[in-house]
Amino acid sequence: MTSPTVSGTQAPALSLKGVGRRFGALQAVRDVTFDVAQGERRAILGPNGAGKTTLFNTICGDFPPTSGSILLFGEDISALKAYQRARLGIGRTYQSSLLFDGLSVIDNLYLAIRGARPGRFSMVKPGRDNPELARARELAEMVRLGHVQDRLVTELSYGQRRQLEVGMAMGLSPRLLMLDEPAAGLSPIERPELSRLLRELPRSLTVVLIEHDMDIALPMADRVTVMKDGAVVVENTPDNIQTDPMVHEIYLGHRRQGHA
Amino acid sequence: MTGMIRSWPLALTAAVIAVLVILPLLLPNFWIANILGRSIAYGIIALSLTFLATYGGFVSLAQTMIAGVAGYTIAILAPTAIPAGAGWSYGLAIPFAILMATLAGLIVGAIAVRTRGIYLLMITLALAVGFSLFVQSNVELFNGYEGIRNVVGPDVFGMPFRTPLVFYYVSLATAVLLYLGVMYLVRTPFGLVLQALRDNSRRAAALGYNTALHRIAAFGAAGFIAGCGGVLTCFYNIGISPGSVGMGATVNILIMSVIGGLGHPIGAFIGALIFTLIDTFAASIYDRDRFNTLIGLLFLVIVLASPDGVLGIGKKLAGLFRRKERSAEAAPVSPAQASPAQSEH
Ligand SMILES: Nc1ncnc2c1ncn2[C@@H]1O[C@H](COP(=O)(O)OP(=O)(O)O)[C@@H](O)[C@H]1O
Ligand SMILES: [Mg+2]
Repeated sequence: MTSPTVSGTQAPALSLKGVGRRFGALQAVRDVTFDVAQGERRAILGPNGAGKTTLFNTICGDFPPTSGSILLFGEDISALKAYQRARLGIGRTYQSSLLFDGLSVIDNLYLAIRGARPGRFSMVKPGRDNPELARARELAEMVRLGHVQDRLVTELSYGQRRQLEVGMAMGLSPRLLMLDEPAAGLSPIERPELSRLLRELPRSLTVVLIEHDMDIALPMADRVTVMKDGAVVVENTPDNIQTDPMVHEIYLGHRRQGHA
Repeated sequence: MTGMIRSWPLALTAAVIAVLVILPLLLPNFWIANILGRSIAYGIIALSLTFLATYGGFVSLAQTMIAGVAGYTIAILAPTAIPAGAGWSYGLAIPFAILMATLAGLIVGAIAVRTRGIYLLMITLALAVGFSLFVQSNVELFNGYEGIRNVVGPDVFGMPFRTPLVFYYVSLATAVLLYLGVMYLVRTPFGLVLQALRDNSRRAAALGYNTALHRIAAFGAAGFIAGCGGVLTCFYNIGISPGSVGMGATVNILIMSVIGGLGHPIGAFIGALIFTLIDTFAASIYDRDRFNTLIGLLFLVIVLASPDGVLGIGKKLAGLFRRKERSAEAAPVSPAQASPAQSEH
């Protein structure tokens, strides 16, 4: 197991200091600074194109930030590669599912569980009673895919793929879970299922959640950060966010447009 | 490449192996060595390409060159070689040659680590051409254009390696071991990660896998397979010359893999057999050009009609028959699963 040096147990789970990301002329994320405390649930709201996904990508190491620094439990991870950050305990989902389509559900989860553990190059086939396989079966049950665990990902329904997304992120036993619009594209029938699944996540886990659906995001969140044009506009409690006129202006206003 | 045949039934595998063990007792020597034995030996090199393509999604044109690294190594070290080289025993030279091919695979993997698709094709082709020019121009070590002759292989149970039955059975045993090894490997963590790279390397990295290292290791494993084929084909040809690693040889291995199908490792051997049959009979009845035309046409037809090669055609036919049964089976769907798949935006 990798056990990173934690400077004081009360270091924030995630600490962003002036994080920016530029794509050519476009400043997709600008000077984002906020902390997420250990065990906190943070929702990130904002209209499409606000830079929420890009912020996730810089935190997870898909590409480095062009400015600022990112601390995970007090450790600066700005220069680390994506796989190194995963090993330090960042689990994430993607706005549009990125799964291993040619493999079964159980193999997907098995790979997710093994990713942050030693023996990644093992050339020995896991036995039937392999503990990691057993954990993969548990995880399949947890994300309600137990009955389809031997199916290929390509044979899953859209809703099931979204559930597997969450399972994959949980596989590496993350210390920080980052969910990028987990309910994106789900039908009204599928939504409550995923919402219930998210509510069942262990309370001790630190979660950062991007979600357009207020009904999913606000009941879960301890605090809410609102982004627009790459920058943080407001940070507050869910109650205050709901009544904040500026949020209504930029977020709900946009939402009405978007869904018109 | 997603059209993989998932469970090649065990019984069928055993039956095919049994037939291949008995078959030579019924066939003339020419068929044993020059058709079946040759197909199997070249099929092993094709297997290294098919393995990378099927499970990693990497189409490498360097596999013939890597087989050539093993071929040249064994030729330089062989006790019987003309011109005489290091004069090692075959018992030492064979494992060393395969080790060199594995290293060559790792090096190719490291050089090509950031490329995919057409760029991977180009960089591996460039390496292959470079190697072929290098051995051609280097007289000191590789004897230049002439190459190295009289690499006859070791005696097996007192019989010369070139005895058709010996060559055939050794090739068959090697192929079966490598084939079963591949089928096992792809169910291990290493093999599953390889398939994860094929399906989504970004996700693999986000789960904690060092994708670059896994790619390089996969090329190393393919190098090992190609090396085994390289040693066998060197013995089959009683030596090696630049022609064995040239553009033509490289393209031939690609044709075998594609004709057989890049959806399953067995395609490599099916493709090699079809290639060898056409090569042998078209070339003996007519002339060389006729063979090239024929194989070129077949290649075109297969690429256009079935990207999964002969295997894909077989699978499509099987699928046509099975569709009726399945539609009857799939009728009772639970309401929870019945919601239509939606696209995101
Ligand atoms: N890899 C990329 N290359 C170039 N531009 C990008 C890239 N990723 C995102 N962007 C741009 O950055 C802006 C923010 O996008 P994104 O982070 O996806 O917003 P959100 O997730 O809030 O909807 C958009 O204008 C988008 O086009
Ligand atoms: Mg987004």
